[in-house]
Amino acid sequence: MPSDPSLQRFMLFGRRAESGSRRRPGRDMRIDMVRGLALLIIFINHMPGNVLSAYMPNNFGFSDGADAFVLLAGVSATLAYGGLIETRGLWIAALKLGARIWTLYIAHMAVFIIVCGVIAAAVTRTQNPLYIEAINIQPFFRDTVDALIGALTLTYQPSYLDILPLYIVLLALFPALYYGVRFSPALTLALSLMVWQGALALDLNLPNSGGHWFFNPFAWQVIFTLGIILGRAAQLGLTAPRLRWLDLAAVTFLVFAWLVKIPAGNPTGIAAFNDWFDSVQLGSDKTNLAWSRLLHLGALAWLVIRWLPAEGRLARSRVGRALACSGRNSLHVFCVGIVLAIIGQIVLAETSFALDVQLLLCAGGVTVLTGLGIFLSWYRSITTRDQRAEPAEASAASAPRPSFSPR
Amino acid sequence: MQETGRLTIVALGSSTTAGSGASAEDKSYPFVLQSELRRRLPGAEVRVVNKGVGGQSAYDMLLRMDGDVIDEKPAVVIWQTVVNDAIRDIGEEKLAKILRKGIAKARAAGIDMILMDLPWLPREGRYPHFDDYRAVLARTAEQQGVSLFPRYAMMKGWSRSKQFTEEELVGMNGLHLVDAGYRCLASRLADGIVSAVGDIEIQTIRAESPPTD
Repeated sequence: MPSDPSLQRFMLFGRRAESGSRRRPGRDMRIDMVRGLALLIIFINHMPGNVLSAYMPNNFGFSDGADAFVLLAGVSATLAYGGLIETRGLWIAALKLGARIWTLYIAHMAVFIIVCGVIAAAVTRTQNPLYIEAINIQPFFRDTVDALIGALTLTYQPSYLDILPLYIVLLALFPALYYGVRFSPALTLALSLMVWQGALALDLNLPNSGGHWFFNPFAWQVIFTLGIILGRAAQLGLTAPRLRWLDLAAVTFLVFAWLVKIPAGNPTGIAAFNDWFDSVQLGSDKTNLAWSRLLHLGALAWLVIRWLPAEGRLARSRVGRALACSGRNSLHVFCVGIVLAIIGQIVLAETSFALDVQLLLCAGGVTVLTGLGIFLSWYRSITTRDQRAEPAEASAASAPRPSFSPR
Repeated sequence: MQETGRLTIVALGSSTTAGSGASAEDKSYPFVLQSELRRRLPGAEVRVVNKGVGGQSAYDMLLRMDGDVIDEKPAVVIWQTVVNDAIRDIGEEKLAKILRKGIAKARAAGIDMILMDLPWLPREGRYPHFDDYRAVLARTAEQQGVSLFPRYAMMKGWSRSKQFTEEELVGMNGLHLVDAGYRCLASRLADGIVSAVGDIEIQTIRAESPPTD
């Protein structure tokens, strides 16, 4: 177990050791950068069957963009709303969180309506019923009244429109989880794991028309909680301890995952492992999370924290800054990405998946999403500069900014 | 046997099973199949359970096999799948493996399986691998000795017969003819099931709990 005293003290009591070295607190570029990257990966993966999707990380390991996105949502929420709880108290933070959840809800509704409209337009023009099939949007066309009520109550989520509802639930849980982590990260994590495993055993999930939520909140809260723990550590200015054995374990696990995912079938030839290889190669359980996903994500996160310097060359490079702009405006970029990906699916099918169209769509989409992030960052910078001119605004700016605060 | 027997069928599938395009839930093929079988097997307690969830891949349904199929203790499961795997081009090897696992699961539980072929599409060229995935489905069904319901051939036949226009067969404008399509599908399935009913084990009522409806 952790041999480092400062890590032990943090995990048990949520406090930093007085002697520990303190990092200068400030916005960690890596959070936005990785988040921006995760958004692009999610976009490419949402156009299944395109050549690039075969090179996305989920082909080489157990976790994918969604896992990283939820983890970083936890980190960002802690820096924004956790910071607000510390500086302004729970009630102000709760109001802000409420406003944020409302924004997410409205964004989800808007994307829902736009996607339904896009599919309706495509199907009536092309007579290809599979567009309805691929997005599971038939309840909306068959029984619009029920589907509309289901959409409003988040109990009807077409495919691809399932991350925002998860995020809404997780943010609503944030204050409880944050206070838990503040008291004891280890205890909170243990409880969180118990809720996950308990829900698995009892088959608990929230309802979705004809089934369950694609992202089971009882399972995915584990990743969000991990994110809050990382965010809390960053908030306290903790630096990752030099644990060589953990570095080694993480690298070993990533290599192991890669070796297992690459071949088709069981390369060891040991019959007892057949079922296990099938279970990881055919698809890891995304709905209820799988240990393999969680460990893979944990290994990746540890290595990024340890070896990707916060102010390193990558974070300062042009690509790094562009990705960070997308990450900083993740709600907008995510929503536009969903709509673009669904339009992309239709264009791909109408052009019979021609290679040049595939590449053009991927490149075009990535350009639009990155450009949107850069534009929104620029837009915010010019509008906040105007606000700074007013003296009253300056005092409230001590907490790190929420990554996409309601405006 | 048939006079006192009870026949439970689970329809596992994606939106064709859930009833995509049908004007109401009671127009979906499992519902029509149930009324059709009740009519044709007057003595039997027939129940067709609809376990269709739109947009699901074969793997998603494999994960549901225990809770949605085996727990219902049916005599027959009709598995309508592969369409989303063909759209997403998940890999032919992988699909074959998933199908084999599903078939093995049903077999181990003593449930007879009918696989349903892919739908016929007006413009298949949209999905260049569509035929390859159809072939995987047919090959797996044959290798495993599972019957494959020829939905593709049926729909193609309808389109050739000019009974319906393409839009009416599959599109959104002719909802009622989509209903007609499901009706035909269900009645052809019923033909097959009724003719095979001698082979299918019909549980007697005294064997287990009383029928639910």
